[in-house]
Amino acid sequence: MPDLKPILLVEDNPKDLELTLAALEQSQLANEVVVVRDGEEALEFLQRRGAYANRNTSDPAVVLLDLKLPKIDGLEVLERVKADPRLKQTPVVMLTSSREESDLVRSYELGVNAFVVKPVGFREFFDAIQDIGVFWAILNEPPPVPVTG
Amino acid sequence: MSNQTPRDIDLSACEREPIHIPGSIQPHGVLFALSQADMTLTHATANTATVFGIDPAAILGKPFGEALPEIAVALESEMTEPVSAGASRLLRTVVLGTAKGEIAFDAVLSRSDGHLILELEAAAEDAVSSIDALYPALRRFVEELHGASTLDQLCQLAAADIRRMTGFDRVLIYRFDEAWNGTVIAEDRNDALPSYLDLRFPASDIPAQARELYRRNRLRIIPDANYTPVPIQSHDPVPLDLSDSVLRSVSPVHLEYMRNMGTPASMSISILRDGALWGLISCHNSKPRRVSLPVRNACDFLTQIFSLQLEARENAMVADNRVRLRAVEARLLAHMAGENSFVDGLVGHQDDLMLLAGAQGAAIVTDEQCWLLGETPGEERVEALSAWLAEHHPEDVFATDRLAELLPEARAYADRASGLLAISISKVRSSYILWFRPEIVQTVKWGGNPEKPVREEAGALRLHPRRSFEIWKETVRGRSLPWDQSEIEAVKELRNAIVGIVLRRAEELAALADELRRSNKELEAFSYSVSHDLRAPFRHIVGYSELLKKHEWADLSERGKRYIDTIIESAYTAGTLVDNLLRFSQMGRTALNPKPVDTAELVESIRRNLTMHAGEQRIDWIIHDLPSIVADPTLIRLAFENLLDNAVKYSRTRDISRVEVGSYRDSGDIVFFVRDNGVGFDMKYVDKLFGVFQRLHRIEEFEGTGIGLANVRRIVERHGGRSWAEGQPDKGATFYIALPESEGAA
Repeated sequence: MPDLKPILLVEDNPKDLELTLAALEQSQLANEVVVVRDGEEALEFLQRRGAYANRNTSDPAVVLLDLKLPKIDGLEVLERVKADPRLKQTPVVMLTSSREESDLVRSYELGVNAFVVKPVGFREFFDAIQDIGVFWAILNEPPPVPVTG
Repeated sequence: MSNQTPRDIDLSACEREPIHIPGSIQPHGVLFALSQADMTLTHATANTATVFGIDPAAILGKPFGEALPEIAVALESEMTEPVSAGASRLLRTVVLGTAKGEIAFDAVLSRSDGHLILELEAAAEDAVSSIDALYPALRRFVEELHGASTLDQLCQLAAADIRRMTGFDRVLIYRFDEAWNGTVIAEDRNDALPSYLDLRFPASDIPAQARELYRRNRLRIIPDANYTPVPIQSHDPVPLDLSDSVLRSVSPVHLEYMRNMGTPASMSISILRDGALWGLISCHNSKPRRVSLPVRNACDFLTQIFSLQLEARENAMVADNRVRLRAVEARLLAHMAGENSFVDGLVGHQDDLMLLAGAQGAAIVTDEQCWLLGETPGEERVEALSAWLAEHHPEDVFATDRLAELLPEARAYADRASGLLAISISKVRSSYILWFRPEIVQTVKWGGNPEKPVREEAGALRLHPRRSFEIWKETVRGRSLPWDQSEIEAVKELRNAIVGIVLRRAEELAALADELRRSNKELEAFSYSVSHDLRAPFRHIVGYSELLKKHEWADLSERGKRYIDTIIESAYTAGTLVDNLLRFSQMGRTALNPKPVDTAELVESIRRNLTMHAGEQRIDWIIHDLPSIVADPTLIRLAFENLLDNAVKYSRTRDISRVEVGSYRDSGDIVFFVRDNGVGFDMKYVDKLFGVFQRLHRIEEFEGTGIGLANVRRIVERHGGRSWAEGQPDKGATFYIALPESEGAA
C-alpha cells in the first residue's frame, strides 16, 4: 500500500466546506483531507511554517483552493506556491464560485493545474469533486523526486 | 545685368530715382529755405535773380531780414508760428515788388529737416480765385453727393466738379488694385483729349516712391511739362528734401511720359483711405495750364470730402453684406445644430452654404468622405486639392481668385474652380470646406502696352516711357471674380462656429465615454459580486437539499419528498439563471478573440452531446455541409448550442424530432440555419423571440431561463452579423444567423 498523500482543502465558507467534504467522502477516496480556513494558514501548512512547522505529514497530492479567502486570497496563494521551487510541482485546483473570466485567465497565468467553477447542481458538483479527487489524488503520477545526496 | 527683362529694368530704374531731392523746382515760383535755428537763408532758387533782381549767391548765409527784407517784413511773423511737419500751408497772398513791378504771390510754408521752406507762387488768373468764389462750388458738390446712390455716380460727380473748378480738359478717377495697377473708373472731359475710361495702367507708371510721396503730399501740379527746371543754390552740400514742396521739380521720365500722353499740364490729387493710397483724381490738359493755390486747396478739400463719402459708402456696403451673410450664417448654424454632425447640416442646405461665400460649388472633405455640392471639380481632384492645401497652405482660411497660377494642374478644371475659398476644420484629420468660383475670362484694356520700351543710350540702359497710349487689349484667363472681404469674414466665422461645434461634440463624446467606462466598471463590480455571492446560496440550497435527500430519504413522507425535489429544482433553476445572466453580461464586455472555427466539427460535437442527453427522444439529424469561419470559438459555440438545444427541446413532443442544420451564402454573408419540426411559434411574436427573459411557452411545457436566444443575438451582433427566425404554430421553426463573410470566412 503506497503512502497516500493528503488532499489539502482551503475553504473559508463553512457551508461550501461541508458540501465539499461530503462530496469527497462520497467519492470514497482513502486520502486524508486536511482542511485550512484561510490563505495564510494554507501557506503555513504548505511551507511548514507556524503551527505546521513540525507536521510530519507528506506534502499534499492536490490542493483544492478557493479563490476568495480571508487574509491572503486564493490567487496570491497560488502565485506563492508556484513561485516556491519546493512546492511548484504540487497540483493546485482552483475551486471557485466565480464565473469571472479575469479570475480564470489570471489563474492560468499563474500556473493553476485546473480551474473549476462550482456548479449549482449538487450532482455536478459531486461529479466534479470526485473527478478531481480521482485524477489528482490517485491517477496523476507526480514527477520523479530528484535523488538528493 | 545683361539678362534682365525689360520690365525688371523698368521697375528698378524708376523705383531707384530719388524724386524727393531733385535739386530744382518748376519755374512758376521761387523757393527759399531758412535755417529754423537762426533764420538765416540757406537755399534760394536761381530765379531769385530774374524775379526779384537779387543774386542768390550774395544773400545765402545772411539773416532773413537782411537777405530778403521786403519778404521778411511781410511774412516772418507768420512763418515762425509753429507748423505741423509734413504739411505745406498756404500763408496768404502777398504783393511784392519784383523786377517787373508789383506782383501778387501765394506764399506757402513747409518744413524740411530743420529748414523752413518758403515758396512764392505767382497768383494765377483763374476763373475762380478766392475762397468766396469757390464756396458755392464746394457746397453744390456736397449737396450732390447725397443724391449719388452708387459708387460710380459718386466718382462721376467728383470728376465733373473737379473739372468745373479747375477747367482741365480731362479729369479721371483712377483706382489702384492690390498690385498697384490703376484703372480709370470715372471720367469727365471735353473733346480736346481722348477718353481713358476703363483703361488700366501698370503699377510701374507710378513707382513705389512716387506713391509714397503722393500719400504724404496730396496734391501735385505740373503746369507745363516742357518747363526748364530752376536749380536750387546753397552752400549746404546736403540736397534739400522737397517732399512737401508745391514747386518740386519732377522726374524727366515723368515729363516724357506726359509729353507722350499728349498732356503737357497735369494735376493729381490723392484719394486716401485709412491713410493708404486708394486712388487718384488725375487732371490733364492738352495745353499748359496752371491752377491757383486756392483752387488747388479747394480741390484737395473736395477730394477729402469725396474720400470720406467713399469710405462711408463702402463701409455701408460691407455692413449690408455682413448683415446679409450673418443671416445666412445663422441659418447654417441652426441647420448644423439640428443634426448629429455639422456635415449633415451643411450638405442638407447646400444653397445656404454656397450663398455664404457667393460660390457656384462647394465641397466638404473629411478623412472619411468627400461631399460635392453644385459646380465642382471631380472627387479625386477635390481630394488632391485638399491634400495640396494641407501641405502648402496651413492657414485657417485660404482664398485665391487665380488657383491655376498657384497649382498648375487646376488649369484642367478652371471652368469650375478658378476661384477657391477654403477653411480648415481640423488639421489633424485634414477636414476642409471648399467653395469654388468658375473662371471669368476678362478683357483688360491697358492704356498702351504696359511694357515700356528700353533703349541703350551712352552704353547704359536708360528708361523711356511708352510713346503710345492706344488701347492695348489683354485677355486674362484662369481667374474668377475675387472673393469679397465680407465673404472671407463670413466663412471665417462659419469656421469658428464649426470648430466650436466639433470641439463641443468631442467633449460630449469624451464625457460620454467616461460615463460609459464608469458604468461599465460598476457593472463589472456588480457582476463579480453576483458571480461570487449570489451563486453560492443557490449552490448551498441544492447541496444541502441533496444531502438531506440522501441521508433522510427513507424517513420522508411522499409529500416531503416532493417538497425537497421542488426546492432542489427551484434553487437549481435560479442558480442556472444567474449563470446565464452572468454569461450574457460577460458576452457584451469581453473582447472577441476570433479564430478559425470548423462549424461542421462544432455542430457535430454539440449533436453528440445532445444525443447523449436526449434520453427517450428520437432525433432525426440532417446536417448539411458546413463551412469554416473566423469567429470567437467559445461564443460561437454557445450560439450554436443554444440554437440546437432549442431545436431539440421544442421538437420533443414529436414522434420523431427532425433537426436540420445548413448554410448558404447571401450577398457577402454566410447564413446558417437551424430548422426543426417542433411546436413552432406565431410570427406575431417574432420580435419578442430574441429578447432577454422572453418566453413564448409556459415553463411547465418547456423549461429554460428565456435567455438563450438573447445570447444568440448578442453573440451574432458582436460578430457584426444578424439573427432572425421564421415559424408557424405547430409547424416548426427555423432560426437564422448571418455572419459577414469578410470577417466570418476562414
